[in-house]
Amino acid sequence: MEHITDQPLDMAQLLEETRNPTCGALVVFEGTVRNRHQGQSVARMQYTAYKPLAERVLTELEEHVKRHFGVAECRIMHRVGDMGIGEGSVMIVVRAEHREEAFTAAKYAIDTLKVQVPVWKNDIYPDGTTAYQDGVSLSSCGQDHPGS
Amino acid sequence: MRIELYGVLREAAGASEVELQVTAPVAVESLLDELAGQVPGLAPHLPRAACAVGDSLVSRRHTLDGSQALAILPPVSGG
Repeated sequence: MEHITDQPLDMAQLLEETRNPTCGALVVFEGTVRNRHQGQSVARMQYTAYKPLAERVLTELEEHVKRHFGVAECRIMHRVGDMGIGEGSVMIVVRAEHREEAFTAAKYAIDTLKVQVPVWKNDIYPDGTTAYQDGVSLSSCGQDHPGS
Repeated sequence: MRIELYGVLREAAGASEVELQVTAPVAVESLLDELAGQVPGLAPHLPRAACAVGDSLVSRRHTLDGSQALAILPPVSGG
């Protein structure tokens, strides 16, 4: 099951994949490209990813969300490539028996994704110049990692 | 040894990959020192970068045998 795609995000597909008759709540989060960043107008955005680790992190995040929040379904897709204003960059679908855990799980999923997944945003300004957004360090290469 | 660069590191290096002439096995720390020397524009970014081999993050003490590339990952900004 893939989590990184260079195609437009397909909500219908994710809804179908997560269809579950035990669930009474469905929460969908979609991140979309905004037209401004830190006070500057943005024309387009380019996303890139280190796919091997990104796929693993998102697979593990889906499983962790389901176990930790007691939700039945969690699917995450992140798009890479060039995107225009308003286009979807990330989609999270959570289904649960009740709404409380569905909302909580979805928020946790996007908050965690933003600090763990090796994906990078490059703003493309109206004059054609570009700038990578600063982000969150996964770690310093001087620090140890569990299991390494 | 092939070093893969991501995000702003590609801009800093003017390339998505760098080939380092080193003798394996070699520690990540040594590779980073060699990389900073060969591509000085990368040096300011390395303290905040993470390193990965395949689908796993690796520490500075990790030793590479030369069969896989080392990926250098700057601070992430996904979502």
